[in-house]
Amino acid sequence: MGAFLYGVSLQWKLDIRSKTLLITCYIVPLLFFAIMGGIFTSVMPEAKYTLIQSMTVFGVTMGALIGLPPSLVEIYSSDMKKIYQANGVPLYLGLALTNISAYIHLFLMSIILYIAAPLVFHAKTPENPAKYFISLAVFIAVSLSLASIIGLAVKDQAKTSMFSIIVFLPSIMLSGIMFPMELLPKAFETIGKLFPATWGYKLMTKSVFPFESLFPLLLIFVLAAVICIILLRRMDN
Amino acid sequence: MNEAIAISNLTKSYGTHIVLNGLDFCVQQGEIFALLGINGAGKTTSLECIEGLRKYDSGSISINGIMGIQLQSASLPGHMKALEAVRLFAKWNKASLDKEMLDALGIYEFGKKPYYQLSTGQKRRLHLVLALTRNPDILFLDEPTAGLDVEGRLSLHEQIRQLKAIGKTIILASHDMTEVENLCDRIAILSGGKIAFIGTVEQLGKTIGKHYNITIQTENGTEKYESEDIGDSLLTLLMQYKEKGKTIVDIQIDRGSLEQHFIKIAKGA
Repeated sequence: MGAFLYGVSLQWKLDIRSKTLLITCYIVPLLFFAIMGGIFTSVMPEAKYTLIQSMTVFGVTMGALIGLPPSLVEIYSSDMKKIYQANGVPLYLGLALTNISAYIHLFLMSIILYIAAPLVFHAKTPENPAKYFISLAVFIAVSLSLASIIGLAVKDQAKTSMFSIIVFLPSIMLSGIMFPMELLPKAFETIGKLFPATWGYKLMTKSVFPFESLFPLLLIFVLAAVICIILLRRMDN
Repeated sequence: MNEAIAISNLTKSYGTHIVLNGLDFCVQQGEIFALLGINGAGKTTSLECIEGLRKYDSGSISINGIMGIQLQSASLPGHMKALEAVRLFAKWNKASLDKEMLDALGIYEFGKKPYYQLSTGQKRRLHLVLALTRNPDILFLDEPTAGLDVEGRLSLHEQIRQLKAIGKTIILASHDMTEVENLCDRIAILSGGKIAFIGTVEQLGKTIGKHYNITIQTENGTEKYESEDIGDSLLTLLMQYKEKGKTIVDIQIDRGSLEQHFIKIAKGA
């Protein structure tokens, strides 16, 4: 357990030093919040009721899908993987450590948004903070699980960026944070339902736990976890 | 002496290309053993099969002890500092850090440097330390001194000798014949997926037969000759020099290098 905790703290420090995760988990989401938060609340004053949730969905999706896969590709598509295998460190450790570290970073970024949005844009905080943070915890985990598939399945950094963008853009555009989902064409609405951002946004904006939003998230998480296990086993062989 | 590693009838193919074709050899505990072969002879495949990093088709591998592996090509996250990597691997393997060993390998000199700033020599030393964090009985070193300067090479040789002195079994893959000649108790030469020779450096010389290098220095320069019969050759050469009126300043005779023997076996087998 001591080794695992040391690994988590080390990965946390590495993420800060590498700056990539720092940019995708903090700088870009907070800049987006500073600019879009002002625009949203000016153009649509009612946006202040969902500003925390929409900015959080953007930040978490961006941090997970754009920030995590490059770290995984660095580990699993290089000689780094061999050094782990050769010296008794299990292959799953890299995946676990990067996910936990990214999870903590994304949760911190979400807390910053939760505190800053009411102060800067008079955004309304969720009625039930406990339920909000539980929903957030679920949403971050599911987003990271989806990002892990990209990081494990794609073998080089250039392709990783391409796949990450391919998943990230529809996640954001079709999730309901930019435009109400009801106004989207039916086909886009259906495509939007394939991504965790859509369900995460719904889950975090409701004051009670809607099972119809929680179930798809759990389903995506289980499927992603199974795919990650298969990919890791294939690498190990 | 007990066997640290026993390989029996090991085979491995990539598609239709047979890389290992019934490999058999043993490594005794506490010895430094070198695996040699020209490129494509199956050295790395053999090592990776023994290390458990690659699956083999048939045969058996018996390992008697914990393995530590220093890979030829390995990397770590660029921002991870050398000592952080050592701590992570040591903690994961539940091993306590041997500060004397770390000091001997000079890890403290660059322990706080991130991996991307380390020189080739420092990376090699770090990878050796990582391989030692499991406190292994058997240590695999794949081209341990490749890319090192003379000083780094000598320092690493000394450390390898010290590891042998404390009872570690060391399997070495190297292209540096001087290194093999100076360090190893026994060598095995791979050719065509099989062992073409196994034994000591001296035995290799005897297997190949007598081979001499003759270097004659005159006032006009140096000339080199190779010979299988030193008596006849030297006499003939001396007479030729005398007839031509060349004054000999110095003569050096040596038994061919391991490299010459190695090339003969590796290509001829």
